[in-house]
Amino acid sequence: MSLLEERRRGLTDPAMAAQIMAEIPDQPLDTQRKMGYYVQPRGKRLTEYEIMTCYTQPTPDWISGGLDWGDWTQKFHGGRSSWGNETTELLSSDWHLHRDPAARWHPVYVKAKGEDWRVLQRFMETFSAEGALRTIDPVWRDEILPKHLGALGYSEYGLFNAHSSVLRDCTGDTLRSTFAFAAFDKVDNSQMTQLVRTFIHKMMPGYDDSPAIGKKEWTEGAAYKSARETVETMWQETYDWNEVMFAVHMIYDPLFGQLVRREFFQRLSPAYGDSLTPFVIAGVQTYFQTTKAAMADIYHHCLDNDKNHGGFNRRWMHVWMEKWLPKTVAAMAEFMSVYATLPAREGFTDNASIAASVNRVVEDWIVDYANKIDYKVDQSAMVATIMAGLK
Amino acid sequence: MAISLATNAATDALALNRAPTSVGAQEVHKWMQDFNWDFKNNRTKYPTKYLMANDTKEQFKLIAKEYARMESVKDERQFGSLQDALTRMNAGNRVAPKWGETMKVVSNFLEVGEYNAIAASAMLWDSASAPEQKNGYLGQVMDEIRHTHQCGYVNYYFSKYFHDPAGHTDARRVRTLGPLWKGMKRVFADGFISGDAVECSINLQLVGEACFTNPLIVAVTEWASANGDEVTPTVFLSIETDELRHMANGYQTVVSIAHDPAAAKYLNTDLNNAFWTQQKYFTPVLGMLFEYGSKFKVEPWVKTWNRWVYEDWGGIWIGRLGKYGVQSPASLKDAKKDAYWAHHDLFLLAYAVWPTGFFRLALPSKEDADWFEANYPGWYDHYGKIYEEWRARGCEDPSSGFIPLQWFVENNHEIYIDRVSQVPFCPSLTKGASSLRIHEYNGKKHAFSDEWGERMWLSEPERYECQNVFEQYAGRELSEVIAELWGVRSDGVTLIGQPHVTKEGKLWTLDDIKRANCVFKDPLA
Repeated sequence: MSLLEERRRGLTDPAMAAQIMAEIPDQPLDTQRKMGYYVQPRGKRLTEYEIMTCYTQPTPDWISGGLDWGDWTQKFHGGRSSWGNETTELLSSDWHLHRDPAARWHPVYVKAKGEDWRVLQRFMETFSAEGALRTIDPVWRDEILPKHLGALGYSEYGLFNAHSSVLRDCTGDTLRSTFAFAAFDKVDNSQMTQLVRTFIHKMMPGYDDSPAIGKKEWTEGAAYKSARETVETMWQETYDWNEVMFAVHMIYDPLFGQLVRREFFQRLSPAYGDSLTPFVIAGVQTYFQTTKAAMADIYHHCLDNDKNHGGFNRRWMHVWMEKWLPKTVAAMAEFMSVYATLPAREGFTDNASIAASVNRVVEDWIVDYANKIDYKVDQSAMVATIMAGLK
Repeated sequence: MAISLATNAATDALALNRAPTSVGAQEVHKWMQDFNWDFKNNRTKYPTKYLMANDTKEQFKLIAKEYARMESVKDERQFGSLQDALTRMNAGNRVAPKWGETMKVVSNFLEVGEYNAIAASAMLWDSASAPEQKNGYLGQVMDEIRHTHQCGYVNYYFSKYFHDPAGHTDARRVRTLGPLWKGMKRVFADGFISGDAVECSINLQLVGEACFTNPLIVAVTEWASANGDEVTPTVFLSIETDELRHMANGYQTVVSIAHDPAAAKYLNTDLNNAFWTQQKYFTPVLGMLFEYGSKFKVEPWVKTWNRWVYEDWGGIWIGRLGKYGVQSPASLKDAKKDAYWAHHDLFLLAYAVWPTGFFRLALPSKEDADWFEANYPGWYDHYGKIYEEWRARGCEDPSSGFIPLQWFVENNHEIYIDRVSQVPFCPSLTKGASSLRIHEYNGKKHAFSDEWGERMWLSEPERYECQNVFEQYAGRELSEVIAELWGVRSDGVTLIGQPHVTKEGKLWTLDDIKRANCVFKDPLA
């Protein structure tokens, strides 16, 4: 007996289908067929992303933008509420206002990352068939990648974990999906740093691909002391979910993260014959840019421009700048010591090149982040502080 | 830096051996337990009385990119079916009207559960210390986002194609109007995210998912297809493929705490509370939706319940956890009594307040009544006669001005709402296990319908303070409340909820409701 014959289905069984059709009215009972017609679209018309995401958060109206009423049906032991305004210092006229500029809902997100995985696997097969590993400088391959790409993996993994409480506590649905995708990208990044070394191990079986070397560098090395402590503080000591996200995505990652990923690995890898690491980091940078746009929408477009609370929010963001920027600058200054361990390459490892790297990161950050909330930064002084770490 | 001999030899070998290779997900995942590091304040922000082990493994060993690839393949199948074959067959419209209404509730309420499970899984990810265990919970975070959007997509699809889109289009806004909503929030929202993290895991994974997703997500597909709905099985069976990961997460949660002798002190009490919390709502609501919300019946709910809740979960699944000290909940036997009559009790009340719904309800037809009596002997004498009386008084016809809620008032059948579960009950009419208990606390009265919820409240009344619809709406006229909470269609006057699904029947408007002059009253005031 075929599966179709096991149980009669109302759509395909003629007798059942006829009975159903007899009950269906000739004309629809309502003319409004647009799901979420009451949602304010960001653009001209509602996107599928907005329809699927907006107002999935069932918060009451005393959390701005909520459509429900009344109290929570079950609370934490002691009576703390399920979700509440007290979980962040920032205020919003509507916690449902944010829109991800990339309009990502789940199928859109996993399709893109799944494609990245297929492309990466095809790249690895080509890279290995080409014997491209032969061109990589042995010191870069055996010293720098295990230590510092490994350490970057820990930084990314710590940032990933900083998102867990945010995903529990944040008060909006579009916020929650943006933060979730940012978190998933971070754990992906840490896994990709491992993948690079495991891939080298597969091509070169004597190569140690365990994370131990990077972990030792991250937990004991002087180059990462401030970075590690900053990540630990964001992860486990900061309870305000907006502060965590602001510290991670508006300060630490666009500064320290960009310095290490873009200016160190992406810029220097070609100088050491490494075409593998830049390929992987390019994917990481794609995620960074997508996240950057989403975070700008949250903290600049929505919260800094909030019609009722924008000024208040900006003051808090400045407070957080004062708290997290010095830690991040210290982390960048300490990272400068890594440059001294590199085999010299003209145009890449000389002081002028490194200063240009630092300037690019700092300038980008000032333009894209600090200026947006009118936070004053002395670029020269900041660069000088970071460059002071250069041994 | 000196190059090792092994490295040198391997490098030389490359000149000869350039076999294409790549890296599989498992080859990265095997290092995952080493991704963590110890530091002074490495502790969760959501304390639990349980001790979760540092070396707990996960069963589904995925990395981020492989997860994405796998889910994307599933999405292609699902959306391909929906957007191609089913659309060309006009399958979104060729659904039994009662069932199309049922899916307004099922899909939207499940969406709420999935949405809250994002936060619940994130809390567990925060609480766990083992990277693999964190990774398992992370996978669930992503799955729950997927399921939230999938459930939304079912409503979205029916909005476009079903012959009554109202309610599908705006469930997220109008669902707060009726008395079923708060109870749904207890089991599917707050019960997952507010409490000890492991207690929440027990609610979500060990009970909600391991026990009730079979009847909810699998059984519903059988009822759906019988009633012409192939949209729901296409989506829900795809959801169910992820649920295995979540059940495994629940299992691993127990494994991670089982090494701690102190766990035995709390685990079975928390499991019992979680089971009662979940079953108190799901047992009557699912049974009601299936049996009263369908044209073609699959099997009596009590049989489904016995197979999946009592035998499969209470026996086999919990039995597997017996080696960790887990016992079947003491409340299981009381729940079994509810599985027979509680959904019939609930439909009586749900129909009585039909104007507060975002779906159309229908009185049992002659065929329905025969089926109920055949499968639940005694049904007609208790329930069937009441429906006949309501029908005779014209409850389906707007010109009658009769809303069954009035019948309860006329006959002194007081309707209460259980403070802990938020499930309505009528002590003088119930055939299920409910019985009225009232307590006073801080100058406010609280009603309860069973001893298990009453015990939870007596232990921690501060966790269950939520006002119910009767307290919220007390003194207000019904049509005012409906208008305020968006319970009308696009013409601004016709109600979304209706007491029939017939083609010929007239639709009720706000004016019809106003004429009935129903004013909410709090029975505890």
